[in-house]
Amino acid sequence: MLINFPYIKRDTPVHRLDARTKLILLFAYSFSVIQTSNFWFVLVGFILASFYYSQAHLKWRETRRPWTFILLLVSILIIGNYFLSAGGIVQGVDLSHPHILYKLPYIGLLSHPPYVGPAPLIISVESITFLITQAMRNISIAMFVIPLPYTTPPSDFGVAFRELGLPDKIAYAVDLAFRFLPSAVRDFSTTLDAQRARGYELDKLEGGLVGKTVRLAPMLVPVVIGSIIGAEDIISAMELRCFGVGKRTWYIELHPRQFDRIMITLAITVFIAITLLNILGYFYTSGPLHVLHVQGIPKFLAP
Amino acid sequence: MAVSEKPTLASAVSFKGIGVRQVVYMALGAALYGGLSYLTNFLQLPSVGQVSIRPAIVIPLFFGAVFGPWVGFFTGGFGNFFGDLISGYGVYWNWDLGNALIGFLAGIAMLVTVGRYNRRAAIIMAEIWAAIGVIVGIGFAAYSDIWVSKLNFAGASSEFIPAALSDLIFGLILLPILLVAYNAAMRRTGRE
Repeated sequence: MLINFPYIKRDTPVHRLDARTKLILLFAYSFSVIQTSNFWFVLVGFILASFYYSQAHLKWRETRRPWTFILLLVSILIIGNYFLSAGGIVQGVDLSHPHILYKLPYIGLLSHPPYVGPAPLIISVESITFLITQAMRNISIAMFVIPLPYTTPPSDFGVAFRELGLPDKIAYAVDLAFRFLPSAVRDFSTTLDAQRARGYELDKLEGGLVGKTVRLAPMLVPVVIGSIIGAEDIISAMELRCFGVGKRTWYIELHPRQFDRIMITLAITVFIAITLLNILGYFYTSGPLHVLHVQGIPKFLAP
Repeated sequence: MAVSEKPTLASAVSFKGIGVRQVVYMALGAALYGGLSYLTNFLQLPSVGQVSIRPAIVIPLFFGAVFGPWVGFFTGGFGNFFGDLISGYGVYWNWDLGNALIGFLAGIAMLVTVGRYNRRAAIIMAEIWAAIGVIVGIGFAAYSDIWVSKLNFAGASSEFIPAALSDLIFGLILLPILLVAYNAAMRRTGRE
């Protein structure tokens, strides 16, 4: 069993972006879009995220697996959350006069014994808008998240984290972990084959939950203990080469372009602006400064 | 012949005390956790957030208990990051931080045991801190989704309960087995 990093070597605008730019864009966008449930802000973010994803030129067959997982996750997340809240929760917005379309018979929490009983499932303009906003938000974050492993060489992550301010030793540990990954998975595969030769079948573990868990030990223990013992040689080799004494230099150097600097500045500026607007929205209960705290539903939909 | 310094209590807790040994174990732990998580990521628990069954959770618990809280922090955090990265699922910072907390809190046991688990009391201490780590770490990851994914409390709880239960079962059963096996291996190599 081999491990394949999902990185695909290609020349696209997203591939040409510095690894630090992609990480900053991801975190700045994520932390910005989670601060509001305003439909129009999230829609603009969704459009920008779609454009960013389109610039990575990833094919559906290459990203089918993560997208299947993400779309399933988002569907279950928003629908499950809707039913668990009986359609009544719209996060982060003022909701003094919901425009209810339907009330369906349902079960919900009550404020009196037996605390669970018949309660209406509310379908309102606000809750439907919130469903759509939630879906756009999560899918737009995924559009920044998914290109990251496909467009960034694994060897760039260590030096990228170093350039973002992580200490040398931690950044080197990231680099070293990428090197250990294929060995760890290969050792697991070898151990599984060796145990199978001794009659151990992972698919046919007997016993209850506890028994089955204990029977996982013949898989885990040899891999973990064997790796730790093998790491002693690496530790000795690094100490002999005076690792950790003095400032570390890196084989790979990241060279940000002017475009990377512009994108980073833009991302941080937008994040700060949205955060300030969000904070001001708590002090100004109406007007343009309160915009992030309303859903922005047009008046003809919610008269 | 290189001589490795024995880890002390102060060095285990201090971030400045991270030496060559800790760096290598961090990397190894993260690789093991990421690799084994990748192999079991397809096993999903029924929940709002499609949380996966993860026997590999014992790895940040073990590495934290034996090598210290910072090794546990890195193993949990970056291990989860690697697992999601190589699966192609992307980066979910709150779950990475939650897994990092699991390893860090499990590593608090090392303050008392100094990484030695040749007595029952020490193993029990490791189990207690492992349980605290799982509950706090998974709790942080699941309930931060109230803010990140705009779930409500019930939705976040539907992520927390199956994930925490699953991790507690796998972690608390496999951790003492690994600790005893590690003790035996160290005794054999003369490093106890």
